[in-house]
Amino acid sequence: MPDSLPVVELRDATFTYAGAAEPALRGVSLTVPPGQICAVVGRAGAGKSTLCALCTGFVPHFYHGQLNGAVIVNGQDVAAHPIAELVRHVALVGSNTFSQISGARFSVYDEVAFGPENLGVPRHEIVERVDWALQALKMSHLRDRSPYALSGGQQQRLVIAAALAMRPPVLVLDEPSVQLDPPGTEELAALLRALSQQGMTILFAEHRLEWVAELADRVIALDHGAIIADGVPADVLADPVLRRAGIGWPRPALIAERARREGRWPAEHPLPVTLAGLVEGLAATRNGTHCEPGHQRNGGEGEQGSEEASHSNQVSHTSLHTLASTPPPAVPSPAPPPLVVLKQVYFIYPTGVEALRGVSLTLGRGERIALLGRNGAGKSTLVRHLNGLLRPSQGTALVAGNDTRKTTVARCARHVGIVFQDVRNQLFARTVRDEVRFGPQNLGFPPDQVEALVERAVDALDLRDAIAEHPYDLPPARRRLVAIAAVLAMDTPLLVLDEPTAGLDGAGIELLSRLIRELSAQNRSVLVVSHDLDFCYETLERVILLREGRIALDTRFDALDATAITTLDNDVGLPIEVRLRHTG
Amino acid sequence: MQRTGLFLERVGFLQRLNPLTKLTGALLLIGAAFLLPTPLAGAALLVLALMPLAVASAVLRSFVDVLLKTLLPVILSLLLVQGLFFPGADPATIMLGPFAFRRAGLEFALTTASRLLIVAGAPLLIFQTTHPIILVQALTERGMPRSIGYILLVALQLIPAMSERAAGVAEAQRARGLETEGGLLQRARGVLPLVSPLIVGALVDAEERAMAIESRAFTAPGRKTWLHDVPDPPVERSARLVMWLALGALIVWRAAVAVV
Repeated sequence: MPDSLPVVELRDATFTYAGAAEPALRGVSLTVPPGQICAVVGRAGAGKSTLCALCTGFVPHFYHGQLNGAVIVNGQDVAAHPIAELVRHVALVGSNTFSQISGARFSVYDEVAFGPENLGVPRHEIVERVDWALQALKMSHLRDRSPYALSGGQQQRLVIAAALAMRPPVLVLDEPSVQLDPPGTEELAALLRALSQQGMTILFAEHRLEWVAELADRVIALDHGAIIADGVPADVLADPVLRRAGIGWPRPALIAERARREGRWPAEHPLPVTLAGLVEGLAATRNGTHCEPGHQRNGGEGEQGSEEASHSNQVSHTSLHTLASTPPPAVPSPAPPPLVVLKQVYFIYPTGVEALRGVSLTLGRGERIALLGRNGAGKSTLVRHLNGLLRPSQGTALVAGNDTRKTTVARCARHVGIVFQDVRNQLFARTVRDEVRFGPQNLGFPPDQVEALVERAVDALDLRDAIAEHPYDLPPARRRLVAIAAVLAMDTPLLVLDEPTAGLDGAGIELLSRLIRELSAQNRSVLVVSHDLDFCYETLERVILLREGRIALDTRFDALDATAITTLDNDVGLPIEVRLRHTG
Repeated sequence: MQRTGLFLERVGFLQRLNPLTKLTGALLLIGAAFLLPTPLAGAALLVLALMPLAVASAVLRSFVDVLLKTLLPVILSLLLVQGLFFPGADPATIMLGPFAFRRAGLEFALTTASRLLIVAGAPLLIFQTTHPIILVQALTERGMPRSIGYILLVALQLIPAMSERAAGVAEAQRARGLETEGGLLQRARGVLPLVSPLIVGALVDAEERAMAIESRAFTAPGRKTWLHDVPDPPVERSARLVMWLALGALIVWRAAVAVV
């Protein structure tokens, strides 16, 4: 196939799932040339996953429905060829890593080899491909480990390695960063860039717009199944149409826009979509020159030319430090009595792994706390000590003054509600209302109070329209909101959220942020375990960093000094605004 | 750590053999346990064949451990039930304390137990000395459908994975105030929230896993490659032929004895 021809081509593609009233994709036309990294953004339910499935043949061959229009991938008409043939042309990495693992192989190495084995690749070449893929994903040291013994982030890298070992000309990824920590996403971006430079065409659906801005050559925005914007990231990601559609903007654009409102960013100066673009734009403003952000891979912002220079001169000296937003306003120190007290808590699993090594902390009322740390730092173990699911091997855990060794989890649940990351472990009821009702009923609230709590939680998570629906009939992002509502309705003084923003779109994250602030204002506390540093910085106030089972940092975001910033940066990276304050 | 069922990562005699050779040997031993005229043939074969093989394969301790844990309760209940309640006219009894055990019943129980030791022991030794993938590969190369092989392999890994998920579900629901201890009514109330997420999760996973193996070319047409080598030297092929002949001879001899 000549290089000039598109590798992925959709002509007026419309797809309606069997039994659905509305199309999931509407008249999508799109051509992706070889080696391009094309991102697809949109709100939950906008059609991103359907587009990924369509480009790999799972729509219409696996998920049936009515397809109109044409979809050509690497020269193959998707509708006319079975998946078994299409896999030689395009590989799909789905969003749920656990079920992407074949289950038929017992080691990471063999799992990566599974696809090439099925393609009949000669053995010596399989070995070469597997070694390369494991190295590319930095997994060589895990080659003999069971795929099921890996962390979520490691599993995510494994399924990407497994897809790469098939050497597809086209790689399609549905939310590839959802399980990865910030260093992991950076490494993945570097890998995808290298692959695109080698000619691989990459299409990926993603919510994290900052990552999209850094990585993609091109961005397609979907809304209700139709393309509403298509172009280079610099043009699309700061397009007002994205905000109108509820997709939002990447943070650098938001920061610059805020500065523009405050008169610290020239009105006709284009909004940057990357951190580097923001820094460069600010530097240019300071120097009295217009912004020419060459770092932005497609450089759309620089096109407005030098006539902006005169306007830039009118803008007062703009400091990086003043541009970054102030962290959330400080609240007075929490009043006693504390909600949870851990005193020198050690925890050793039956396998001998020492997960907590002398953790002492106090969680008070009205606090907004981020619990950060690398995979394996002990975050999950610590969270399970907050309601007695795990009891210290040594030391004491007090929940509302009660030693967790002398009380039950159900009693602790009156004080601490936990929403775990995998919401599938939680949801069971036939309707959203029943699901939300379950917790407060267990806690013995009177019926009228149960109903009041359910109503309040449903409204807080914007689920009114879905109250009579089965949770599994909702898109995954809304399912997460149902899980949060179900624990919120328990009306506990402390709410613990494990990776609450995973898979949520901009509007969902905004909703969550607002909710956390409201709870804090009501003197309820929220502890968030998350890799989403920007969300934590913007929404929370206290930051606890765990490292190898010990507390490496326990401070407030607005009190981060140079040492704390270095510590944070070394372990989990920095929120974009902190990075901005300390750049230049 | 890999979830490879009963397989033990050791180096020894049986680990070097082709799985088909081991399967044929197991079949011969099981056949012999049933066809040889002595009631304790199975026990004798266990001591004379399986245990030396387990020693040569460095799995003796685990082999005996699993076999005892699995079969001891069965054998004891066989002896009790058949010894005390065996039907038939033979009045001979053996007194053990206040209990009169029927001799014929005990003989029947011992014969059955002896055969059970081989029926369970021979496959156990195969599973302990054969990596599941190697076993499935050997069988698939001999014509077993790949889908059956996949199901066998996936079951080995997904059963522990399901049990982990069950623990996750229990955690999530206990964190929502569900009492999982207490009276029968209390426990019955907990069944739906504990079981339903497990089933729904498994169904969703099954659909997504079907997609995943499709995207990994499981159904792609054409010749497949196996990453690992399963050697089958001529000496093993000859050994299998001899074992089949021995089994055939046993059957013929036994049939002839029965006719005479």
